[in-house]
Amino acid sequence: MAEKPQPVRVLYCSICSLPAEYCEFGPDFEKCKPWLIKNAPELYPDLLKEANEKEAEKVSGQLQLFGLSSGGADGATSGQTSSSKQEEVKRLPGGKIKKKERQEVVIEKVVRNKRKCITIVKGLDLFGVKLSDASKKLGKKFATGASVVKGPTEKEQIDVQGDISYDIVEFITDTWPAVISLSIFFSFSCVLHKWCIWKTLKEDFVPLF
Amino acid sequence: MFKKFSAEEVSAQNQVKASVQRKIRQSIADEYPGLEPVLDDLLPKKSPLIVAKCQNHLNLVLVNNVPLFFNIRDGPYMPTLRLLHQYPNIMKKLQVDRGAIKFVLSGANIMCPGLTSPGGSLDEEVGAETPVAIMAEGKQHALAIGFTKMSAKDIKAINKGIGVDNMHYLNDGLWKMERLE
Repeated sequence: MAEKPQPVRVLYCSICSLPAEYCEFGPDFEKCKPWLIKNAPELYPDLLKEANEKEAEKVSGQLQLFGLSSGGADGATSGQTSSSKQEEVKRLPGGKIKKKERQEVVIEKVVRNKRKCITIVKGLDLFGVKLSDASKKLGKKFATGASVVKGPTEKEQIDVQGDISYDIVEFITDTWPAVISLSIFFSFSCVLHKWCIWKTLKEDFVPLF
Repeated sequence: MFKKFSAEEVSAQNQVKASVQRKIRQSIADEYPGLEPVLDDLLPKKSPLIVAKCQNHLNLVLVNNVPLFFNIRDGPYMPTLRLLHQYPNIMKKLQVDRGAIKFVLSGANIMCPGLTSPGGSLDEEVGAETPVAIMAEGKQHALAIGFTKMSAKDIKAINKGIGVDNMHYLNDGLWKMERLE
């Protein structure tokens, strides 16, 4: 055992992440095809033939100015990658397709001890916000404790101590421009708490939207 | 085992003590002698070794947030498929026929007939309860990591039922988790 064995470099499909030779068993072989033709044509000789035939049929005049096959394949792959990226989010590990979630931030206020509040912010992660960072920022801004907590449905949410619903909207839209104020909703599931001043809040906030 | 695995199942991540680190190194080196020359590159002594504890008594060994090995309870350490692809010769190999690939890739355990049929092949030396790489007919790379239920001789003799437990396969939860933050 004198010399080190060099690690083998395996070609992984950029679409389905499997080694290229397993694409045919992957979740979506059709989508991988353009990528395979470009990057690993020797693995699937049939594919290449098929594609060439198609291309020959398709391309008649306009593409002749450019590099024929490469131009066509390029366009196809770039289109595929962008569409597959969007779909990646929806897929669960089991390969089932998840329902697309509506992108919205829900702000909830829960009253405890009759006079103390917790403000819960749900759904920030749907906007690509890192929750741990967000909770830190919220805590700093409002000078309270803020933490990332696992919600009832395995969703992560941010719990902020104190009632900060009065200017959290502004804060969120300022810090993360991706979140539009239209997609922020209030939920008052805690109506049973008399102390919830939800009536006044409602009057205050409804004009906002 | 990793069919529905995600970062949520990681309950705790700890940097382990030097002594534990040594123990893990030792058991990996014992299990995979072929890996010894590169072990220093894989698990650098300097950089911290992190063990992530997950549900079902599962441990993941992470270096720089990349999962490299996993084990169950006190069982043997097994490399992840990405690692195995890099160093394919560290494990004993069993090969399944082409018809079985589809099932293995959806998480099925490996049945004996798939190994003994013309498309499959067996390493005679494999004993029971050892980690093995599952290769496939006509493919270069491993598609799963298994844990044998019976020895290769028994698989040939009995030729019925589950021969190898499927621990980790392509496109399962662990495969998708390239990095664990």
